[in-house]
Amino acid sequence: MRGRIASMACAARSVLLVAALALTVSPLEGQRRSRSFPRRPPPENVNFEEFNVPYDGRFAFVRLRFTPTAIGWGGGGGFFGGVNYQWDHDYPRAERHFTRILSEVTTLSPLTNASNILALDDPELFKYPVAYMSEPGYWTLTEAEVEGFRDYLHKGGFVIFDDFVGGHWFNFEEQMRRVLPNHRLVRLDASHPIFHSFFEIESLDQYIHPYRFVPSVFYGVFEDNDPNKRLMVIANYNNDIGESWEWSDTGWIPIDLTNEAYKLGINYIVYAMTH
Amino acid sequence: MFEGLFQFLFKYRPVVFERGELAFDAPWPIALVLLAGAAAALPAVVIYTRPQARLRTPDRALLAGLRLAVLGILVFCLARPMLVIATVVPQQNFLGILIDDSRSMQIADEGEQPRSEFIHETFGPEGSELVAALGDRFKLRFFRFSETVQRLGDVGELTFTGRRTDLARALDAARRELAAVPLAGLVLITDGADNADAPLTEILLQLAAGRVPVHTVGLGAQRFAKDIALERVATPRTVLQGSSVAVDLTVAHSGFGGETVRLTVEDAGRIVSAQDVRLPGEGETAPVRVHFTANEVGPRLFRFRAAAQPGEAVSQNNVLEALVFVDSGERKILYFEGEPRFEVKFVRRAIADDENLRVVVLQRTAENKFYRIGVDDPSELAGGFPKVREELFRYDGLILGSVEASFFTHDQLGMITEFVGQRGGGLLALGGRHAFARGGYAGTPLAEALPIVLDSDASSDGGSFFAEVKVGLTPYGRGHPVTQLAEDVESSEARWKELPELSMLNPLREVKPGASTLLTGRAADLSDPLVVLAHQRYGRGRAMAFPVQDSWLWQMHADIPVDDMTHETFWRQLLRWLVSGVTDRVAVTSSLDRVERGAPVTITAEVSDSGYIRLNGAEVVANVTTPGGLEREVPMEWTVERDGEYRASFLAEEDGLYEVRVQAQQAGVPLGSAESYVQAGDLQTEYFDAEMRASLLERIADETGGRFYTPATIGTLPEDVSFTESGTTVHEERDLWDMPVLFLMLVGLIAAEWGYRRQRGLA
Repeated sequence: MRGRIASMACAARSVLLVAALALTVSPLEGQRRSRSFPRRPPPENVNFEEFNVPYDGRFAFVRLRFTPTAIGWGGGGGFFGGVNYQWDHDYPRAERHFTRILSEVTTLSPLTNASNILALDDPELFKYPVAYMSEPGYWTLTEAEVEGFRDYLHKGGFVIFDDFVGGHWFNFEEQMRRVLPNHRLVRLDASHPIFHSFFEIESLDQYIHPYRFVPSVFYGVFEDNDPNKRLMVIANYNNDIGESWEWSDTGWIPIDLTNEAYKLGINYIVYAMTH
Repeated sequence: MFEGLFQFLFKYRPVVFERGELAFDAPWPIALVLLAGAAAALPAVVIYTRPQARLRTPDRALLAGLRLAVLGILVFCLARPMLVIATVVPQQNFLGILIDDSRSMQIADEGEQPRSEFIHETFGPEGSELVAALGDRFKLRFFRFSETVQRLGDVGELTFTGRRTDLARALDAARRELAAVPLAGLVLITDGADNADAPLTEILLQLAAGRVPVHTVGLGAQRFAKDIALERVATPRTVLQGSSVAVDLTVAHSGFGGETVRLTVEDAGRIVSAQDVRLPGEGETAPVRVHFTANEVGPRLFRFRAAAQPGEAVSQNNVLEALVFVDSGERKILYFEGEPRFEVKFVRRAIADDENLRVVVLQRTAENKFYRIGVDDPSELAGGFPKVREELFRYDGLILGSVEASFFTHDQLGMITEFVGQRGGGLLALGGRHAFARGGYAGTPLAEALPIVLDSDASSDGGSFFAEVKVGLTPYGRGHPVTQLAEDVESSEARWKELPELSMLNPLREVKPGASTLLTGRAADLSDPLVVLAHQRYGRGRAMAFPVQDSWLWQMHADIPVDDMTHETFWRQLLRWLVSGVTDRVAVTSSLDRVERGAPVTITAEVSDSGYIRLNGAEVVANVTTPGGLEREVPMEWTVERDGEYRASFLAEEDGLYEVRVQAQQAGVPLGSAESYVQAGDLQTEYFDAEMRASLLERIADETGGRFYTPATIGTLPEDVSFTESGTTVHEERDLWDMPVLFLMLVGLIAAEWGYRRQRGLA
């Protein structure tokens, strides 16, 4: 049974805090590093481990990397010298902003000035039971990654899929079927505990894609396909909360939408740590 | 041998000298005898004191001394020395003969014949010299004894099937039965394997005061040549269904040093555990810890058996039984976590399929904001962490995560301490950045309950301590039920070595006196191991410290296979052990879990109010259901000695399982109920510690003025029994002047004088 104590006043204060922090958060180290990254490096030569931090027991934001169906130039992330790996969209500003908000709003003490980029077959991934993937519409998997990802989920890992819309769904669904062939993607409604683990999200109607303006839909994969059991995966289809996190200090995205993106993220983390 | 030589020299057996008094009965006045002796001595003294050229002073002194010694012996004999000794008047006194009729008399530990064979040979219809000699002197009265005492008309009535040996009762009954007749003494024929709780001191004092000597005859070997025995079994009285149970056994043996025996555990005839035990050297016992899982619900009689070996004196003592109540009830544990951490998720997952454990999570997600999981109703924990005893004490266990001490009020910290000490709940403190000394717990009331020493300086490192440790078992943890990760100890130990490292933020190095460490952690850059898992009993409950922050790595780590159950097993065992034995407001225990039929059973109940304050004014009744299904009410009385403690007794008169259900109420308001079980039946007590106890039998004889015999020495019993002050006696005079030893001394002294004189050229 799920219980909840949060008073409305407390929740309101938290939301205001999100907004305030979103407007005042300063440019981050990651942005400076972005500008100093060599222009157009060979994508296969990048050592992403240089951007990671060693495990110290604290919550660290983990961004899953993969070999995309296509590597482009410009757009999306842009951190790695203009190379568009797809999975790197909004890196690192999104995670920096989000972990700062997470630290301020909750009692969690995450790493706020660093995060990790890990592949699905990286043993280090298993030290971080929550991971985030951007642009699963371009996601590809090696067999080792399929095995690693399956083990990760079955052991207790939780993955947030974000930043995909429209036809991206088909690739996402196909790759998920490779990982969990017997599991279904189930559409979630606002009654699921993940929408009440910290903020009380009474309705999902307010969620739209920040620049495509299509209604968001939330899908999940349950352990043993049982909706009463643990949610292993949540997919923000037709949404891009990472985008909202990234630009939350600029005002380019409406504050309401940014607030809602932070609320989702915080709820996801609290849920993943308790379920 | 010694006694024969003594009798040759001194004419009588030692017992005559022990019992008799020395007296003189010279035919002439004693003064005249002394005068004659002095007169005879005078010439010798005069001659030897006169200076002579041929004799030196030492020669004169020696020869004078020899001569005076000869004269002294002659004077002693002329004075007619004698022993005056009390002896019974034939056929005027009674002699009680008590014969052990218990099962241990069937043991054939000396040759092929059982101990009881001596009884048949000696007291059988064919008769014996012993009985004839005793019958000449006394009127004999026979008794049989085991757990009861009865007059015995014929030895053929003996069955040697008594379930217990109660020497105190036997002696007391015989003394009472023969109190009205002149009693010369009692003869106790037994192996001395007393297994009754009754103390002997009182009856021995009474017999000594009544001058009734007890002569004991010990049958059997003082140590079996070859035997294996389970001496002790220590089991928990109650366990949760499906729990791993650790049982300590003590295996004793003689003659099997270095050999291996199979030890099995049976539940209703089904073997639930088996292991081989290598027996230590002669005279040593082997402490053994066996593990099994208690799956069947209800009172279960577990049987522990060491496989019988060829040539064993007794095989019945290879089996011990223990009654364990396997509880199917649910234990409710509150897990209060101060910050969102993965421990919450993985602990919940670990016990998700455990029907006997339920973890209610109170997760602090922000300041004064809590997320509750698993609560029964919307009001449960609605105000956050419990503020009153009733609210907290409804749980059986409490897990404290990373939450700083300053979060709690002083009263709440005291309440948590009382939760362990008074309510008897289990407390588990986890590591984290707000835990232990780092969380400010040093010097708080809660620090008293924790098993580790909290150094207030430990937090002075600025909270920077971080270590990744390899967790390992301590010798104590090697056999503990919490840390058993596999079916046997060796496999479990191997599994621990494979587990990945965990991280710690709390450098705890010292446990309190009385606390036990199960797991320690070693890091490459630390010289001393850190405490990883420790526990202690605090008051009525248990307190544990598990100062790691990510035990979930034993589930998630890349080296752990997906289907590995180590994490689940560890946490289930940890939490089950934490709350096992936690009682409700009414708790009942029986003095013994197994009793012999007919033995009294004492039941004790503890009654508390909703805040677990002991209640003295409650109405407490025990409903005892016999194995036959009859139910009777036994009122329980407050003991006065302890608050809230009530006691009652009943007799377990049937073989089988007795159910005791205790109900308590106050002013008509029910306070609760609890149940306990007692198994009555044949405990085979007679076959344990069944070797002949010579020390006990010697003590009985010594303290009452009797003597201890074995079948080899019993021939002198009739005469020895005759020398007694008890009953109708006469005083006999036994001359000592004609003792051979005196004649030999005279001859020896004279020969010595002659030889010396000859050697010195005086003869």
